[in-house]
Amino acid sequence: MALFEAHSIHKRFGSRVVLEDISLSFEEGQVSGIMGPNGAGKTTCFHCLTGHHKPTRGRILFDGQDITGKAPQRIARMGVSRSFQLMNLFDDSSVIENIILALPDFRRRFAQATRSVFDDRDLLEQALEVLDQVGLLGQEWAPSQSLSYGNRRALEIGVALAAKPRIVFLDEPTSGLGAEATRQLAALINTLRSKYTIVMIEHDMRFLFELADKISVIHWGQVIAEGTPGELQSNKWVQRSALGEVA
Amino acid sequence: MSAMLEVNALQKTYFKARFDRTPTFQLGADFVIEKPSIVGMMGPNGSGKTTLFELITGSNRPTAGEVLVQGKNIHKVRTDQRDRLAIHYHQSYQVRSFRSLKPNMLMQPAGSDYPLVHLFDEPQFNTQDGYIGFMLDFFRKLRADGRLVFLCVHPNERFHLEILQEICEQFIFVQKGVVTQHASYEDVLNYEPARDYLGQLLTDRAA
Repeated sequence: MALFEAHSIHKRFGSRVVLEDISLSFEEGQVSGIMGPNGAGKTTCFHCLTGHHKPTRGRILFDGQDITGKAPQRIARMGVSRSFQLMNLFDDSSVIENIILALPDFRRRFAQATRSVFDDRDLLEQALEVLDQVGLLGQEWAPSQSLSYGNRRALEIGVALAAKPRIVFLDEPTSGLGAEATRQLAALINTLRSKYTIVMIEHDMRFLFELADKISVIHWGQVIAEGTPGELQSNKWVQRSALGEVA
Repeated sequence: MSAMLEVNALQKTYFKARFDRTPTFQLGADFVIEKPSIVGMMGPNGSGKTTLFELITGSNRPTAGEVLVQGKNIHKVRTDQRDRLAIHYHQSYQVRSFRSLKPNMLMQPAGSDYPLVHLFDEPQFNTQDGYIGFMLDFFRKLRADGRLVFLCVHPNERFHLEILQEICEQFIFVQKGVVTQHASYEDVLNYEPARDYLGQLLTDRAA
Protein backbone atom coordinates (compact mmCIF):
# COMPACT_ATOMS: atom_id res chain seq x y z
CA MET A 1 0.00 0.00 0.00
CA ALA A 2 1.21 3.49 -0.84
CA LEU A 3 1.86 6.02 1.94
CA PHE A 4 -0.91 8.31 0.67
CA GLU A 5 -3.88 7.33 -1.47
CA ALA A 6 -6.92 9.10 -2.86
CA HIS A 7 -9.81 7.06 -4.23
CA SER A 8 -12.37 8.51 -6.67
CA ILE A 9 -12.41 12.06 -5.28
CA HIS A 10 -15.33 14.12 -6.57
CA LYS A 11 -15.69 17.76 -5.58
CA ARG A 12 -18.42 20.17 -6.48
CA PHE A 13 -19.24 23.65 -5.26
CA GLY A 14 -22.98 23.96 -5.86
CA SER A 15 -23.57 23.40 -9.58
CA ARG A 16 -19.87 23.81 -10.33
CA VAL A 17 -17.99 20.52 -10.56
CA VAL A 18 -14.23 20.90 -10.22
CA LEU A 19 -13.07 17.34 -9.60
CA GLU A 20 -14.84 14.66 -11.55
CA ASP A 21 -13.10 11.54 -10.34
CA ILE A 22 -9.51 11.60 -9.10
CA SER A 23 -7.54 8.62 -7.86
CA LEU A 24 -3.90 9.10 -6.92
CA SER A 25 -1.27 7.29 -4.89
CA PHE A 26 2.08 8.53 -3.58
CA GLU A 27 4.77 6.04 -2.61
CA GLU A 28 6.97 6.58 0.44
CA GLY A 29 10.36 8.10 -0.38
CA GLN A 30 9.36 9.23 -3.87
CA VAL A 31 8.95 12.61 -5.51
CA SER A 32 5.53 12.67 -7.18
CA GLY A 33 4.34 15.37 -9.53
CA ILE A 34 0.89 16.57 -10.47
CA MET A 35 0.60 18.65 -13.59
CA GLY A 36 -2.18 19.99 -15.74
CA PRO A 37 -3.34 23.03 -17.69
CA ASN A 38 -4.87 26.06 -15.98
CA GLY A 39 -8.26 25.34 -14.52
CA ALA A 40 -7.70 21.58 -14.54
CA GLY A 41 -8.45 21.34 -10.81
CA LYS A 42 -4.90 20.92 -9.47
CA THR A 43 -5.19 23.29 -6.54
CA THR A 44 -8.66 22.09 -5.54
CA CYS A 45 -7.25 18.58 -5.65
CA PHE A 46 -4.44 19.64 -3.28
CA HIS A 47 -6.93 21.30 -0.95
CA CYS A 48 -8.92 18.07 -0.81
CA LEU A 49 -5.85 15.92 -0.15
CA THR A 50 -4.68 18.12 2.73
CA GLY A 51 -8.11 18.59 4.29
CA HIS A 52 -8.69 22.22 3.30
CA HIS A 53 -11.69 21.11 1.25
CA LYS A 54 -13.94 18.22 2.08
CA PRO A 55 -14.49 16.03 -1.00
CA THR A 56 -18.11 15.55 -2.07
CA ARG A 57 -17.43 11.85 -2.69
CA GLY A 58 -14.39 9.61 -2.39
CA ARG A 59 -11.86 8.53 0.23
CA ILE A 60 -8.39 9.66 1.27
CA LEU A 61 -6.02 7.34 3.12
CA PHE A 62 -2.76 8.30 4.82
CA ASP A 63 -0.65 5.41 6.05
CA GLY A 64 -3.71 3.19 5.88
CA GLN A 65 -5.89 5.52 7.97
CA ASP A 66 -8.98 7.16 6.54
CA ILE A 67 -8.45 10.95 6.82
CA THR A 68 -11.38 11.98 4.58
CA GLY A 69 -13.07 15.08 5.91
CA LYS A 70 -10.73 15.48 8.89
CA ALA A 71 -9.73 19.05 9.83
CA PRO A 72 -6.54 20.30 8.15
CA GLN A 73 -4.74 20.84 11.46
CA ARG A 74 -5.47 17.24 12.49
CA ILE A 75 -4.16 15.97 9.17
CA ALA A 76 -1.11 18.19 9.58
CA ARG A 77 -0.44 16.80 13.06
CA MET A 78 -0.55 13.29 11.62
CA GLY A 79 2.44 14.19 9.44
CA VAL A 80 1.08 15.83 6.30
CA SER A 81 2.69 19.24 5.59
CA ARG A 82 1.97 21.62 2.77
CA SER A 83 3.03 24.90 1.27
CA PHE A 84 0.71 27.36 -0.42
CA GLN A 85 0.84 29.04 -3.81
CA LEU A 86 0.94 32.42 -2.12
CA MET A 87 3.82 32.95 0.27
CA ASN A 88 2.81 32.23 3.81
CA LEU A 89 5.54 33.71 5.98
CA PHE A 90 5.77 36.15 8.88
CA ASP A 91 7.54 38.91 7.00
CA ASP A 92 8.61 40.98 9.99
CA SER A 93 10.04 38.00 11.80
CA SER A 94 13.51 36.62 11.30
CA VAL A 95 14.16 33.53 9.22
CA ILE A 96 14.75 31.38 12.27
CA GLU A 97 11.61 32.60 14.05
CA ASN A 98 9.52 31.48 11.10
CA ILE A 99 10.98 28.00 11.49
CA ILE A 100 10.70 27.88 15.29
CA LEU A 101 7.02 28.78 15.15
CA ALA A 102 6.43 25.71 12.99
CA LEU A 103 8.32 23.22 15.19
CA PRO A 104 6.01 20.78 16.95
CA ASP A 105 8.14 21.10 20.12
CA PHE A 106 7.60 24.85 20.14
CA ARG A 107 3.89 24.38 19.73
CA ARG A 108 3.83 21.91 22.60
CA ARG A 109 5.73 24.25 24.93
CA PHE A 110 3.92 27.37 23.84
CA ALA A 111 1.34 27.03 26.61
CA GLN A 112 4.01 27.09 29.28
CA ALA A 113 6.22 29.65 27.59
CA THR A 114 7.71 31.61 30.44
CA ARG A 115 11.00 32.42 28.77
CA SER A 116 12.16 33.51 25.36
CA VAL A 117 12.38 30.77 22.77
CA PHE A 118 15.89 31.95 22.04
CA ASP A 119 17.02 30.66 25.44
CA ASP A 120 15.90 27.19 24.46
CA ARG A 121 18.95 25.55 22.93
CA ASP A 122 17.02 22.51 21.81
CA LEU A 123 14.53 24.54 19.74
CA LEU A 124 17.32 26.60 18.26
CA GLU A 125 19.23 23.50 17.26
CA GLN A 126 16.19 21.94 15.64
CA ALA A 127 15.52 25.15 13.72
CA LEU A 128 19.13 25.43 12.58
CA GLU A 129 19.02 21.86 11.35
CA VAL A 130 15.97 22.68 9.19
CA LEU A 131 17.65 25.82 7.88
CA ASP A 132 20.69 23.73 7.02
CA GLN A 133 18.48 21.36 5.03
CA VAL A 134 17.02 24.19 2.95
CA GLY A 135 20.33 25.99 2.50
CA LEU A 136 19.58 29.08 4.62
CA LEU A 137 22.20 28.60 7.31
CA GLY A 138 23.99 31.89 7.86
CA GLN A 139 20.87 33.96 7.22
CA GLU A 140 18.91 32.87 10.27
CA TRP A 141 18.69 36.32 11.86
CA ALA A 142 17.80 38.21 8.68
CA PRO A 143 14.23 39.49 8.53
CA SER A 144 12.43 37.07 6.22
CA GLN A 145 11.20 39.92 4.02
CA SER A 146 14.81 40.78 3.16
CA LEU A 147 15.35 37.40 1.49
CA SER A 148 15.37 36.98 -2.27
CA TYR A 149 12.23 35.48 -3.75
CA GLY A 150 13.99 32.14 -4.29
CA ASN A 151 15.20 32.05 -0.69
CA ARG A 152 11.75 32.93 0.60
CA ARG A 153 10.47 29.89 -1.28
CA ALA A 154 13.20 27.79 0.37
CA LEU A 155 12.20 29.20 3.76
CA GLU A 156 8.61 28.31 3.07
CA ILE A 157 9.65 24.74 2.33
CA GLY A 158 11.64 24.89 5.58
CA VAL A 159 8.47 25.88 7.44
CA ALA A 160 6.72 22.84 5.95
CA LEU A 161 9.64 20.59 6.95
CA ALA A 162 9.83 22.00 10.48
CA ALA A 163 6.63 20.16 11.32
CA LYS A 164 8.62 16.91 10.82
CA PRO A 165 6.20 15.61 8.24
CA ARG A 166 6.08 12.17 6.67
CA ILE A 167 4.83 13.69 3.42
CA VAL A 168 5.21 17.23 2.07
CA PHE A 169 2.88 18.79 -0.49
CA LEU A 170 4.26 21.77 -2.43
CA ASP A 171 1.82 23.93 -4.38
CA GLU A 172 3.50 25.35 -7.52
CA PRO A 173 6.93 25.78 -5.95
CA THR A 174 8.40 27.44 -9.06
CA SER A 175 5.68 30.07 -9.41
CA GLY A 176 7.18 33.54 -9.61
CA LEU A 177 10.74 32.22 -9.77
CA GLY A 178 13.21 33.13 -12.51
CA ALA A 179 15.38 30.60 -14.33
CA GLU A 180 18.26 30.76 -11.86
CA ALA A 181 16.04 30.52 -8.76
CA THR A 182 14.19 27.59 -10.38
CA ARG A 183 17.51 25.79 -10.89
CA GLN A 184 18.39 26.37 -7.22
CA LEU A 185 15.00 25.08 -6.15
CA ALA A 186 15.49 21.93 -8.25
CA ALA A 187 18.86 21.39 -6.56
CA LEU A 188 17.22 21.85 -3.14
CA ILE A 189 14.50 19.31 -3.91
CA ASN A 190 17.16 16.88 -5.08
CA THR A 191 18.87 17.13 -1.68
CA LEU A 192 15.57 16.65 0.18
CA ARG A 193 14.39 13.63 -1.79
CA SER A 194 16.42 11.14 0.23
CA LYS A 195 14.75 12.27 3.49
CA TYR A 196 11.17 13.09 2.57
CA THR A 197 8.20 11.94 0.54
CA ILE A 198 7.37 14.92 -1.68
CA VAL A 199 4.34 15.74 -3.84
CA MET A 200 4.46 18.80 -6.10
CA ILE A 201 1.84 20.51 -8.19
CA GLU A 202 3.54 22.23 -11.06
CA HIS A 203 2.77 23.59 -14.41
CA ASP A 204 6.43 23.90 -15.29
CA MET A 205 6.58 20.53 -17.04
CA ARG A 206 10.37 20.62 -17.52
CA PHE A 207 10.86 21.04 -13.79
CA LEU A 208 8.69 18.01 -13.07
CA PHE A 209 10.21 15.88 -15.82
CA GLU A 210 13.61 16.55 -14.28
CA LEU A 211 12.68 15.80 -10.66
CA ALA A 212 9.68 13.51 -10.33
CA ASP A 213 9.76 9.73 -10.01
CA LYS A 214 6.14 9.62 -11.12
CA ILE A 215 3.83 12.21 -12.69
CA SER A 216 0.04 12.34 -12.79
CA VAL A 217 -1.48 14.58 -15.44
CA ILE A 218 -4.79 16.16 -14.43
CA HIS A 219 -7.27 17.64 -16.89
CA TRP A 220 -11.06 17.92 -16.88
CA GLY A 221 -10.99 17.13 -13.14
CA GLN A 222 -9.59 13.65 -13.85
CA VAL A 223 -6.24 11.90 -14.08
CA ILE A 224 -5.75 11.68 -17.84
CA ALA A 225 -2.25 10.16 -17.85
CA GLU A 226 0.24 8.80 -15.37
CA GLY A 227 3.75 7.41 -15.47
CA THR A 228 7.46 8.02 -15.06
CA PRO A 229 8.84 11.04 -16.93
CA GLY A 230 10.35 8.58 -19.41
CA GLU A 231 7.02 6.87 -20.04
CA LEU A 232 5.18 10.16 -20.52
CA GLN A 233 7.88 11.52 -22.79
CA SER A 234 7.84 8.50 -25.05
CA ASN A 235 4.36 9.54 -26.24
CA LYS A 236 4.64 10.53 -29.88
CA TRP A 237 2.73 13.81 -29.43
CA VAL A 238 4.98 14.74 -26.53
CA GLN A 239 7.96 13.98 -28.76
CA ARG A 240 6.55 16.38 -31.35
CA SER A 241 6.10 19.15 -28.79
CA ALA A 242 8.62 21.47 -27.18
CA LEU A 243 8.91 18.94 -24.34
CA GLY A 244 10.25 16.23 -26.61
CA GLU A 245 13.61 17.98 -26.50
CA VAL A 246 13.97 17.72 -22.73
CA ALA A 247 16.41 14.95 -21.88
CA MET B 1 -28.08 -5.79 -23.33
CA SER B 2 -28.96 -2.22 -24.32
CA ALA B 3 -26.83 -0.22 -26.74
CA MET B 4 -24.41 2.33 -25.21
CA LEU B 5 -26.29 5.15 -26.89
CA GLU B 6 -29.52 5.27 -28.82
CA VAL B 7 -30.65 8.51 -30.40
CA ASN B 8 -34.20 7.78 -31.53
CA ALA B 9 -35.96 10.09 -34.01
CA LEU B 10 -34.56 13.04 -32.11
CA GLN B 11 -35.77 16.47 -33.21
CA LYS B 12 -34.93 19.91 -31.95
CA THR B 13 -36.57 22.95 -33.45
CA TYR B 14 -35.80 26.53 -32.54
CA PHE B 15 -38.53 29.04 -33.32
CA LYS B 16 -38.32 32.72 -34.15
CA ALA B 17 -40.12 33.73 -31.00
CA ARG B 18 -42.46 32.26 -28.44
CA PHE B 19 -45.54 33.27 -30.45
CA ASP B 20 -44.04 33.34 -33.92
CA ARG B 21 -43.68 29.63 -34.65
CA THR B 22 -41.53 30.08 -37.75
CA PRO B 23 -38.70 27.57 -37.37
CA THR B 24 -35.24 29.18 -37.44
CA PHE B 25 -33.21 26.02 -36.94
CA GLN B 26 -34.00 22.33 -37.05
CA LEU B 27 -31.84 19.42 -35.98
CA GLY B 28 -32.74 15.80 -36.66
CA ALA B 29 -30.77 12.78 -35.50
CA ASP B 30 -31.35 9.05 -35.47
CA PHE B 31 -28.44 6.72 -34.80
CA VAL B 32 -27.26 3.94 -32.51
CA ILE B 33 -23.83 3.24 -31.09
CA GLU B 34 -23.81 -0.28 -29.74
CA LYS B 35 -20.44 -0.67 -28.07
CA PRO B 36 -17.72 1.39 -26.39
CA SER B 37 -16.02 3.41 -29.09
CA ILE B 38 -14.29 6.68 -29.96
CA VAL B 39 -16.53 8.62 -32.31
CA GLY B 40 -15.27 11.65 -34.23
CA MET B 41 -17.70 14.48 -34.84
CA MET B 42 -17.25 17.14 -37.48
CA GLY B 43 -19.32 19.81 -39.13
CA PRO B 44 -19.32 23.54 -39.85
CA ASN B 45 -19.95 26.08 -37.10
CA GLY B 46 -23.63 26.54 -36.42
CA SER B 47 -24.56 23.16 -37.86
CA GLY B 48 -25.91 21.81 -34.58
CA LYS B 49 -23.02 19.86 -33.04
CA THR B 50 -23.21 21.51 -29.65
CA THR B 51 -27.01 21.29 -29.63
CA LEU B 52 -26.70 17.54 -30.28
CA PHE B 53 -24.25 17.19 -27.37
CA GLU B 54 -26.61 19.12 -25.11
CA LEU B 55 -29.49 16.85 -26.10
CA ILE B 56 -27.39 13.76 -25.35
CA THR B 57 -26.43 15.01 -21.87
CA GLY B 58 -29.97 16.10 -21.11
CA SER B 59 -29.16 19.79 -20.62
CA ASN B 60 -31.33 20.69 -23.63
CA ARG B 61 -34.87 19.36 -24.13
CA PRO B 62 -35.76 17.73 -27.45
CA THR B 63 -38.84 18.83 -29.40
CA ALA B 64 -39.45 15.15 -30.18
CA GLY B 65 -37.69 11.80 -29.87
CA GLU B 66 -35.51 10.40 -27.13
CA VAL B 67 -31.94 9.71 -26.05
CA LEU B 68 -31.20 6.42 -24.29
CA VAL B 69 -27.88 5.99 -22.48
CA GLN B 70 -27.49 2.27 -21.88
CA GLY B 71 -31.25 1.97 -22.04
CA LYS B 72 -32.00 4.91 -19.73
CA ASN B 73 -33.89 7.89 -21.09
CA ILE B 74 -31.58 10.75 -20.09
CA HIS B 75 -34.42 13.25 -19.91
CA LYS B 76 -36.14 11.16 -17.27
CA VAL B 77 -33.08 10.89 -15.01
CA ARG B 78 -32.72 13.19 -11.99
CA THR B 79 -31.14 16.44 -13.16
CA ASP B 80 -28.50 16.29 -10.42
CA GLN B 81 -27.37 12.84 -11.62
CA ARG B 82 -27.41 13.20 -15.41
CA ASP B 83 -23.68 13.95 -15.41
CA ARG B 84 -23.12 10.45 -14.06
CA LEU B 85 -24.41 9.11 -17.38
CA ALA B 86 -23.08 11.64 -19.88
CA ILE B 87 -20.72 14.62 -19.60
CA HIS B 88 -20.37 17.43 -22.10
CA TYR B 89 -16.86 18.94 -21.84
CA HIS B 90 -17.14 22.44 -23.25
CA GLN B 91 -15.43 25.72 -22.43
CA SER B 92 -17.19 26.18 -19.12
CA TYR B 93 -18.05 22.52 -18.65
CA GLN B 94 -17.62 22.71 -14.91
CA VAL B 95 -20.93 24.46 -14.48
CA ARG B 96 -23.75 21.93 -14.74
CA SER B 97 -27.19 23.37 -14.99
CA PHE B 98 -30.21 21.38 -15.99
CA ARG B 99 -33.78 22.51 -16.20
CA SER B 100 -36.70 20.24 -15.72
CA LEU B 101 -40.40 20.66 -15.11
CA LYS B 102 -40.54 17.66 -12.82
CA PRO B 103 -39.00 17.57 -9.34
CA ASN B 104 -35.99 15.25 -8.95
CA MET B 105 -37.74 12.98 -6.47
CA LEU B 106 -40.12 11.90 -9.23
CA MET B 107 -37.31 11.00 -11.60
CA GLN B 108 -34.99 8.02 -11.96
CA PRO B 109 -31.54 7.71 -10.38
CA ALA B 110 -28.58 7.48 -12.75
CA GLY B 111 -27.47 4.13 -11.38
CA SER B 112 -23.85 4.97 -12.14
CA ASP B 113 -21.11 6.98 -10.46
CA TYR B 114 -18.86 7.53 -13.41
CA PRO B 115 -20.24 8.72 -16.75
CA LEU B 116 -20.73 6.24 -19.57
CA VAL B 117 -20.68 8.82 -22.35
CA HIS B 118 -17.99 11.52 -22.58
CA LEU B 119 -18.55 14.28 -25.13
CA PHE B 120 -15.48 16.44 -25.80
CA ASP B 121 -16.51 19.66 -27.52
CA GLU B 122 -13.56 21.14 -29.43
CA PRO B 123 -10.85 20.54 -26.80
CA GLN B 124 -7.91 22.92 -27.01
CA PHE B 125 -5.21 21.07 -28.90
CA ASN B 126 -1.80 22.68 -28.88
CA THR B 127 1.07 20.85 -30.55
CA GLN B 128 3.63 22.69 -28.42
CA ASP B 129 2.78 21.58 -24.92
CA GLY B 130 2.48 17.82 -25.35
CA TYR B 131 -0.94 17.57 -23.72
CA ILE B 132 -2.47 16.23 -26.95
CA GLY B 133 -0.71 12.94 -26.31
CA PHE B 134 -2.11 12.72 -22.79
CA MET B 135 -5.63 13.62 -23.95
CA LEU B 136 -5.57 10.96 -26.66
CA ASP B 137 -4.34 8.38 -24.15
CA PHE B 138 -7.21 9.38 -21.89
CA PHE B 139 -9.75 8.85 -24.68
CA ARG B 140 -8.25 5.39 -25.28
CA LYS B 141 -8.36 4.58 -21.58
CA LEU B 142 -12.03 5.60 -21.34
CA ARG B 143 -12.84 3.37 -24.28
CA ALA B 144 -10.88 0.46 -22.80
CA ASP B 145 -12.88 0.96 -19.58
CA GLY B 146 -16.08 0.46 -21.54
CA ARG B 147 -17.04 4.13 -22.10
CA LEU B 148 -18.25 5.89 -25.20
CA VAL B 149 -16.20 8.91 -26.28
CA PHE B 150 -17.26 11.63 -28.71
CA LEU B 151 -14.56 13.92 -29.97
CA CYS B 152 -15.86 17.01 -31.70
CA VAL B 153 -13.21 18.81 -33.72
CA HIS B 154 -13.58 21.72 -36.10
CA PRO B 155 -10.50 20.96 -38.20
CA ASN B 156 -8.66 24.06 -39.29
CA GLU B 157 -5.16 22.64 -39.20
CA ARG B 158 -3.63 19.52 -40.68
CA PHE B 159 -2.86 17.95 -37.32
CA HIS B 160 -6.55 18.08 -36.38
CA LEU B 161 -7.23 15.58 -39.16
CA GLU B 162 -4.27 13.49 -38.04
CA ILE B 163 -5.79 13.31 -34.57
CA LEU B 164 -9.19 12.25 -35.91
CA GLN B 165 -7.65 9.68 -38.21
CA GLU B 166 -5.42 8.30 -35.45
CA ILE B 167 -8.02 7.86 -32.78
CA CYS B 168 -11.59 7.78 -34.09
CA GLU B 169 -13.16 4.48 -35.09
CA GLN B 170 -16.31 5.96 -36.56
CA PHE B 171 -17.75 9.37 -37.37
CA ILE B 172 -20.80 11.56 -37.07
CA PHE B 173 -21.08 14.42 -39.53
CA VAL B 174 -23.44 17.31 -38.88
CA GLN B 175 -24.43 19.88 -41.44
CA LYS B 176 -27.37 22.28 -41.33
CA GLY B 177 -29.04 20.14 -38.72
CA VAL B 178 -28.67 16.89 -40.69
CA VAL B 179 -26.78 14.18 -38.80
CA THR B 180 -25.14 11.29 -40.68
CA GLN B 181 -23.20 8.32 -39.32
CA HIS B 182 -20.07 6.93 -41.01
CA ALA B 183 -18.25 3.69 -40.26
CA SER B 184 -14.68 4.92 -40.77
CA TYR B 185 -12.42 7.84 -41.62
CA GLU B 186 -12.34 6.77 -45.28
CA ASP B 187 -16.11 6.57 -45.25
CA VAL B 188 -16.63 10.07 -44.00
CA LEU B 189 -14.16 11.38 -46.58
CA ASN B 190 -16.22 9.72 -49.29
CA TYR B 191 -19.27 11.66 -48.15
CA GLU B 192 -19.51 14.68 -50.41
CA PRO B 193 -20.65 17.31 -47.89
CA ALA B 194 -17.78 16.27 -45.58
CA ARG B 195 -15.28 16.43 -48.44
CA ASP B 196 -16.50 19.90 -49.39
CA TYR B 197 -16.31 21.01 -45.77
CA LEU B 198 -12.73 19.79 -45.35
CA GLY B 199 -11.78 20.93 -48.87
CA GLN B 200 -8.63 22.90 -48.35
CA LEU B 201 -7.18 20.64 -45.65
CA LEU B 202 -7.52 17.56 -47.85
CA THR B 203 -5.74 19.18 -50.77
CA ASP B 204 -3.03 20.37 -48.37
CA ARG B 205 -2.30 16.75 -47.73
CA ALA B 206 -2.08 15.97 -51.42
CA ALA B 207 0.34 18.84 -51.91
